[in-house]
Amino acid sequence: MEGVLRRGRGAVAVSTETVAATGLRDVWTLAPDRLRRAATAVESLREQGVYLAPVRHHSPACAIAVRRAIEELRPAVVLIEGPEEYTHLLPELLHEQTRPPVALLSLPDGPGTQSTPGTQSPPGGPSRSGGASFYPLASFSPEWVALRAAHEAGAEIRFCDRPAADRVRSAAPEAGAVPATAPPEAARHPAVAPAETTDADPFARTLMSERYLAHSRSVAALARRLGCRDHDEVWDHLFETRSPADLASWRTTFDDVFAWAALSRLDYEDEVLAADGSLDREARMSARTAEAAGLLPAPAGTPSGRAAPQGPAAGDPAPGVPAAETPVPDQSGEGTPPTRGPVLVVTGAFHTLAIAEALAGLPEGEPVRRQWPDGGYGPQATGDAWLIRYDHERLDGLRGYGAGMPSPGYYERLYGAHLGGGRRDSGPHPDDSPAHAVATQVLVDIARAAADRGHRVSTPQVAAASVAASRLADLRMRSTPGRTDVLDAVTSCFVTDDGGIGPERPLGLAVAEVFGGGGTGRVPDGGAVPPLVRDARDRVIAVGLDIDTTLPRTARLDARRTPTHRARRQVLALLDLIDCGFGRQLSGPDHVAGRGLGLIGEEWEYCWTPVVEARLVELSHLGATVEAAAVTVLRQSEERLRADGAPAAADGAAELVARAAVVGLTAQLPRLVGLLARTLDTDRDLASVVTAGRRLLGLWRSRVELGLVPSATAGGAAQPPVPEDGRTPVPDQVAVPDQGPADDLLSLVAQALATAAYLVSDAGRAGPEDEEAAVASLLELHALVRDANRAWAARGVDRAGGTNRAGVAGPAGDTGRGVPPDGAAGPASAVARELARLRDDEESAPAVRGALLAIGSVDGDVPDDALVARVRGALRPGADPASAVRFLGGVLRAAPDLLLYTPELFDAVDGAIRDLSPDAFLAVLPDLRRGFTWLRPTETHRLAERVAERTGSRAADVDVRVRLDEKDLALGLAVERELAAVLARDGLAHWNGGNA
Amino acid sequence: MTTETTETRPDAAEQRPPVEVRYAEELARLAAWDAERSAELPPGWRLSPRAVRAFVVGDDQRGVSRKFYGDDPLVDRAVVALMGRQGLMLVGEPGTAKSMLSELLSAAVSGTSTLTVQGTAATTEDHVRYSWNYALLVSEGPTERSLVPSPVMTGMRAGSLVRFEEITRCAPEIQDTLVSILSEKQLMVPELGPDAREAARPGFNVIATANLKDRGVHEMSAALKRRFSFETVAPVRDRNFEIELVERQLTAELGTANDRPAVPRDVLEVLVTVFQELRSGTTRDGAPVKRPETVMSTAEAVNVAVAASLEARYLGDGRVTAAEVARQVAGVALKGDEEDARRLRHYVDNVVRERARKDKGWKAFFDAAEVLWR
Repeated sequence: MEGVLRRGRGAVAVSTETVAATGLRDVWTLAPDRLRRAATAVESLREQGVYLAPVRHHSPACAIAVRRAIEELRPAVVLIEGPEEYTHLLPELLHEQTRPPVALLSLPDGPGTQSTPGTQSPPGGPSRSGGASFYPLASFSPEWVALRAAHEAGAEIRFCDRPAADRVRSAAPEAGAVPATAPPEAARHPAVAPAETTDADPFARTLMSERYLAHSRSVAALARRLGCRDHDEVWDHLFETRSPADLASWRTTFDDVFAWAALSRLDYEDEVLAADGSLDREARMSARTAEAAGLLPAPAGTPSGRAAPQGPAAGDPAPGVPAAETPVPDQSGEGTPPTRGPVLVVTGAFHTLAIAEALAGLPEGEPVRRQWPDGGYGPQATGDAWLIRYDHERLDGLRGYGAGMPSPGYYERLYGAHLGGGRRDSGPHPDDSPAHAVATQVLVDIARAAADRGHRVSTPQVAAASVAASRLADLRMRSTPGRTDVLDAVTSCFVTDDGGIGPERPLGLAVAEVFGGGGTGRVPDGGAVPPLVRDARDRVIAVGLDIDTTLPRTARLDARRTPTHRARRQVLALLDLIDCGFGRQLSGPDHVAGRGLGLIGEEWEYCWTPVVEARLVELSHLGATVEAAAVTVLRQSEERLRADGAPAAADGAAELVARAAVVGLTAQLPRLVGLLARTLDTDRDLASVVTAGRRLLGLWRSRVELGLVPSATAGGAAQPPVPEDGRTPVPDQVAVPDQGPADDLLSLVAQALATAAYLVSDAGRAGPEDEEAAVASLLELHALVRDANRAWAARGVDRAGGTNRAGVAGPAGDTGRGVPPDGAAGPASAVARELARLRDDEESAPAVRGALLAIGSVDGDVPDDALVARVRGALRPGADPASAVRFLGGVLRAAPDLLLYTPELFDAVDGAIRDLSPDAFLAVLPDLRRGFTWLRPTETHRLAERVAERTGSRAADVDVRVRLDEKDLALGLAVERELAAVLARDGLAHWNGGNA
Repeated sequence: MTTETTETRPDAAEQRPPVEVRYAEELARLAAWDAERSAELPPGWRLSPRAVRAFVVGDDQRGVSRKFYGDDPLVDRAVVALMGRQGLMLVGEPGTAKSMLSELLSAAVSGTSTLTVQGTAATTEDHVRYSWNYALLVSEGPTERSLVPSPVMTGMRAGSLVRFEEITRCAPEIQDTLVSILSEKQLMVPELGPDAREAARPGFNVIATANLKDRGVHEMSAALKRRFSFETVAPVRDRNFEIELVERQLTAELGTANDRPAVPRDVLEVLVTVFQELRSGTTRDGAPVKRPETVMSTAEAVNVAVAASLEARYLGDGRVTAAEVARQVAGVALKGDEEDARRLRHYVDNVVRERARKDKGWKAFFDAAEVLWR
């Protein structure tokens, strides 16, 4: 009766002394009755031959205990938490070629049929990219070890969880039902780092998510008490730092894991657990356990039937107390009867409490038992699933996939050490334990990996770190160093400045490499066709593209007006994004590059070849559907963008936004928009920011054909965000009370403008070499402001039609005319302010000043007389000719026609050029020539007329293409100069035309 | 430069008694706890590592208050580092309570936090090694009696922790005096004879605090760096804790809330929010902002609050508003740096403008800032 309790306390006390003991004692005081009863139930179930093995997914400690339990019990049946249909993949799983990490992959039923062409952008569309789920197995996963050990022991293995398809079906309401999952704020403001990205990324949807443990209040309290920073460290503290010998006393280990999980289980109400399907799953797992153990009046075929399907398994569900009165006769000590024996049930520890309560007929088990269907669950479910290879990167909980424990590389080593140590066996030399060896080995490897990246770590430092890890473990009352102790030792001993480990620094990368591990699994040859291939093919056929020929075909599409063409374009672009070699665009608008946006038609060439299929198979690890794979590709680009930390990353991010928008991955947009919002602000490159802004504006203009606007205008959409703390609401400055992704784009444009305003003054400091680029950026920026203002005005009109909230926006920084809503005026006016500042700053680069002056004149901000005065000033005699010409170049670049329409300007320029000394003229000539090339041919002609008029010759003589190269010109000028000198010498200077 | 948390109001006798005096009772309790469970003490230590940790981060069960907030693993690492051969180097921006942490650790480990060298540009080797009582030197020559030991030397003799504050403000040559002391754990005194030396007793170690980024600090030699474990103390992240710190310092500088111009809570909030956002580079909603080069430390926030209070008292109506804060941020915190002014403009354009629409406090800040930073 007190068994679990007593052992739980004792074992913890052994490893962690007083603090830990007080921690776990709290568990029992929280809900003593319920837990005591459950503990008794676990005990009595064991007496009936049902052994519940609560595990934490991917925990080496649990893996050791599971292996030991199976070796000792030699169970007849091993049930494993995992969708039932996985049972038929056992041959592949147990195949000798299979090497973890691998994953079992489930898809929602009929993905092909759902993606009909007309419905290319269902805003929620959860079943398409979010439907795939993964069940990853690493070498140190208890489930994997259970599979192998059970196989070796000759046990029958069955997966016993709800089929994945059912789970996916119930997942859609789940998102709304569990408030902790996705706070609506996060969805609306992408900049608020999306806390839970599960829905976007199929890999996140592993079947082993441990959200509950991570969010449990009790676990958090325990962490505080134990001085641990999070639930992972609590787990390490309580379990992973135990010695292999301790772990191998599996009863104790299981009892403690049970207590640990029960603790967090009590934080959740039944409604929450019912809403997300936990109870439903536990009902099935407990019922299957009862069937296997014969606790229920057994359904016909099950006891020995390897292939369960025969017989409808019509067990009487008998929700009331079946457990106590049907003791199973045989015990583990007896000589392995072939048909009946112990049943071992490996499930996530979070579920064990519920399963035990349900099986033992306790009142708390009622919510689960209530779900038992009349007539039992019947034969094992079937369904499609695939075994695919997996990798450590995706296993790593720390890298954002939420699949269990962090740092698979570390735990794989730990497990290896446990196995090795366990075999060599049990010489309890405290400082010589396998765990210590792992810590030291990890430190050595990190030092080496860091050195490879240019961060040198000396041997004494490694030695000091090894000692520090042990001392930290000791200080924190652990028998051996855990993961965080090793990490802290690295922080303490390898860092020699104030930057810390730093995720982007050599040391941080080294830690990520060693802790993350780099293993990739292997699956047996000749397995089933990965679903990505099928999905791609279905999709291509669905939009009516021809795949029966291996000759290239051409599709001419009018995506703007024809929805079916739009769908085709999207599929082609999607497959292009994942780079499977199916099709390529020949002509038409390129929304990503922002080219040819005015074009209506486009042309694609495509061909479904075996090469394409092979490529898709290769890519199948990216995702189960084309969309999922595309999402992964986008994510990889994102990662690269982050890793590069490029100074001009904003445009890269904008390109990602464009890519996602073009292929219709609208669900990805909030995240990418968030990325861009962050990138924009770190970008130091005006050109990149401006280009990003233009790209975004281009996308916004194509919003209709890209499907970025919800067809029905948002009626009474969301309320403005409610402030969490009841104080004055302070909305994110880029957020707009939204009506779809299109609005986000406009907000981003506003942000780009704000950033540009900040960067504008950098352009003023450009030197002669980069001056031209700076002027180009400024002109782009100017155009961007103009276009953005138009866009805002257009949007204002849009809004005026629907429910208008824009009017409430109140006083922005007024610039008078057509104030756009949402504070867009701010950035725009800030840009204008900065441009004006730069224009009037004598320190700015001359070309920049010239260009801005010209713009100002065209915009009417600079009166003509001011313009002329400034130009005169810049070109005045005595000014540095090079600067003067650069200035002139700027003017001509920005508004060449000013020269034609402002006679005073023409005079000033003409005078200045005339006043140049011949040497100076020669020196600036190339720049001067380039400056005048910004004139259009007709303008050149008219200018020539003016010049002719002024010099008294004919326009045709001036505006003539002379086939001369620079050398000829230099030669000619030299001759002319010489001649002039001769004439001057002979007192005949007046012969020399007007240039006396 | 550092923000020290004054735990109690300075009493009449001493403005600010050292930690070991203020918390004598807690230290005694922890020592008793060690004795009770016969914990092993590292050589020369007054308390066990666990007790030292408890002293710093608090322990409810033993009635020990928490004195250092935030990064508990850092405290663990610091304690462990002090057990090793290397010294402990606490680095970080001003106002991150580095000095406080070093004080707490020395008090707990050695029972004294007063063996302290204050690093300045004028620190000489004598301050680190030893100097002489010149009257005695002239009359007696170099003897034990005429030698004046530095805090470092005293610490070596006693087997205590020695604090070296602001080590990077000393010239590199002076810093390097520590190199041989830390590696050989002895100090030669050639004036007293060829073999005269002071050997460090167990328990001796050095906790240095340094600022690597501030202006006017020196480089640290690689040789010295190797002899220290580096720990970066991060700025205070908890807004309410920082508001509390600012308020306390304000009281320490200008007297209690009755004597000084009132700084309403919402103004403090604006101030601390501005500092935290500019320091971290993100707003509290997660939107990014430009980080100024200037260290936006808590210490600077205190300076701004003090200056704003003075402005309110002598130039205003005796009430501090966000407008004073805005004006002072420009002057006090930004030190007239053109680049930083741009960053602030960006912040005002992008973040404050939005908030100003909804909130009076931010509006005042915005109006003042906009005029000032055009």
